[in-house]
Amino acid sequence: MPRTVYRRPGERVFCFLLVVFSVYLFWQAYGISGFSELSSPGAFPLATSATMLLAACVVFVNTLKLPEAEGVRFFYHCFPPIVGIVMALILIFAIMLESLGFILSSFFFLFVGIQFLYQKSVLTTLSITVLSLVVVYIIFRLVFQVVLPEGIVPEREILAAIEQFWRG
Amino acid sequence: MDAFSYFAISWLSPELLGLTALGTFLGIYVGAIPGLSVTMAVSILISFTFSWDVNYALCLMVGVFMGGVYGGSRTAILLNIPGAPSAIATALDGYPLAKKGLAGEAIGLSTIMSVVGGFVGIFVLSIAAPSISEFALTFQPRDYMMLGVLGIMLVGSLSGGSLAKGIFAGAFGLLIGTVGLDPMTAEERFTFGIVELWDGINPVAVMIGLFGISEALHQLHHMNKAVVKQKITRIIPKWMDVKKYLPLSLQSSFIGVIVGALPGTGGDIAALMAYDHAKRITKKPEVEFGKGAKEGLIAPEAANNAAVGGAYIPMLTLGIPGDAVTAVFIGALFIHGLNPGPLLMVEQPHMFWFTVGNLTLANIFVLIFGLTGIKLFSKIVECPKGILIPLIFLLSVVGAYAINNSVIDIWWMLAFGVFGYFMRQYGFPVGPVILGVILSSLTDENWRRAILSERGSLVDLFSNLLTSPLSVVLLFTIIFILFSQSPIWTRWIKPKLLRSKAN
Repeated sequence: MPRTVYRRPGERVFCFLLVVFSVYLFWQAYGISGFSELSSPGAFPLATSATMLLAACVVFVNTLKLPEAEGVRFFYHCFPPIVGIVMALILIFAIMLESLGFILSSFFFLFVGIQFLYQKSVLTTLSITVLSLVVVYIIFRLVFQVVLPEGIVPEREILAAIEQFWRG
Repeated sequence: MDAFSYFAISWLSPELLGLTALGTFLGIYVGAIPGLSVTMAVSILISFTFSWDVNYALCLMVGVFMGGVYGGSRTAILLNIPGAPSAIATALDGYPLAKKGLAGEAIGLSTIMSVVGGFVGIFVLSIAAPSISEFALTFQPRDYMMLGVLGIMLVGSLSGGSLAKGIFAGAFGLLIGTVGLDPMTAEERFTFGIVELWDGINPVAVMIGLFGISEALHQLHHMNKAVVKQKITRIIPKWMDVKKYLPLSLQSSFIGVIVGALPGTGGDIAALMAYDHAKRITKKPEVEFGKGAKEGLIAPEAANNAAVGGAYIPMLTLGIPGDAVTAVFIGALFIHGLNPGPLLMVEQPHMFWFTVGNLTLANIFVLIFGLTGIKLFSKIVECPKGILIPLIFLLSVVGAYAINNSVIDIWWMLAFGVFGYFMRQYGFPVGPVILGVILSSLTDENWRRAILSERGSLVDLFSNLLTSPLSVVLLFTIIFILFSQSPIWTRWIKPKLLRSKAN
């Protein structure tokens, strides 16, 4: 975790957003039961959101006082493109998971992810992807019995067919 | 002899024995690989194991915890990169030893001393916990509320950086924990009229987001660091060394247990304090500290493993986690229908002795795996991040989905992952958030019980609070922490104190 002695780019905006966020939550907490009783369901949320607001204000003011860090750019040091791209990849993966099913969506995610981050030949990536997918599938789906979305792959039929085949 | 039969459950069942071994093995590697943390592993494991029988799930997770704390030392010694925060102090003298070509010996010695520390921690746990939980039965709701607040504040203030950031994170966690229907009145809180939010935000999704996704995103900054290979020769330490350093390791272990048992402090602080202790009591070190002194390796290693047993004390007796890892662990216990707290020892004594037995077993596996398989170890640790990181994301997404078989948990996890990433970037600690989520209902309910029992009168609450010694101590500790970070203290009083000390 970087120690903030200097103000990093974007830090002011982030802290300001936290203040706004806390104000919104405080308003929402007030809406639960107002300032009625100390034991009301809204009392604790009101206290926590007030604490958040107070702390966020202190952090914001402290941040304003800090000198700006030199030579640190937001899109290079704080939010480099690589992070944004990977975030987008995970988002696409999460959207695809239910409709495409675990096997296909994970295959695409791992393949693109490893190709992008490891940067070796397509064949290497492909074999690593298949190998890790098989291991993950065996451990989690077959050994841990975790329910994973099937999507468009008729997994159960395939598994049953394999079982049938082994039984002869 | 009931206690003993519970103690032996995991020793006698082949499945439980195997799972503990597997957990410890996994833990050592998870702890050793920089970028993977025990908190991350346990968060993801909860989602995969919550449909299991509780004993099976606990065996696996206890193993990961015990192995992980030890595993962090490996990379600290070999690569000067602590695999876990609790191994930061280990790197100070461990890496210089490795540079001298004594990597094997350093690993062997740290393994033995970790195991010694682990046993001391478990021993203290088994003796202290029953009496502490008896004492805890006399706690008033207000004491529980203050303990909760105290734990969050300690984690917030000790995790480095500013207290205000820590408090923000802790309060945010407490607020996340209140989302959903109020357990006492069934009133909606922060639900925005969405029925899916009635059950609240799943804490496991928050955990995986904050410790899995955000940590892995953060790792993307360090993709190009090359791995340095070290040659490892002899790994079984010399008997002479073990005998010589045993007193130091026992002292460090006791420091470790005590620090680990305090709410808010865990293995990392225990290790640094033990290192400092070793430095002070070693009058004539063979090698200077920081340049490969064996004392500087042994003390933190014994202390951080002893802190594991220590951390279990408040967790099992009070239901208060000491740090982020134990917070995640308490989450796991809740999910399996156990209520950690003083009543656990009364209602389910078998769980306590089962855990003690299991910790002991895991510690033995640390010894076995620690002294073997070094070739395999160096292969796995060299696994490139380009492959590892996509796999962490995959497991995180699948893990979040597996909690309730719903995509909503994935969205929560991603939201907290991205938010956690920016929190890390700007120096906000994420540990207090998860502590807050876990402690939220405890703090909320005890606050309301406390105020209801005084018929809503703050005056009565305070007059009763100030006449109970325990409550007074807790209240003043909280006030002291707040005060010690305020400008009045840092600008006026602290310099004066330092000056008088110097004179």
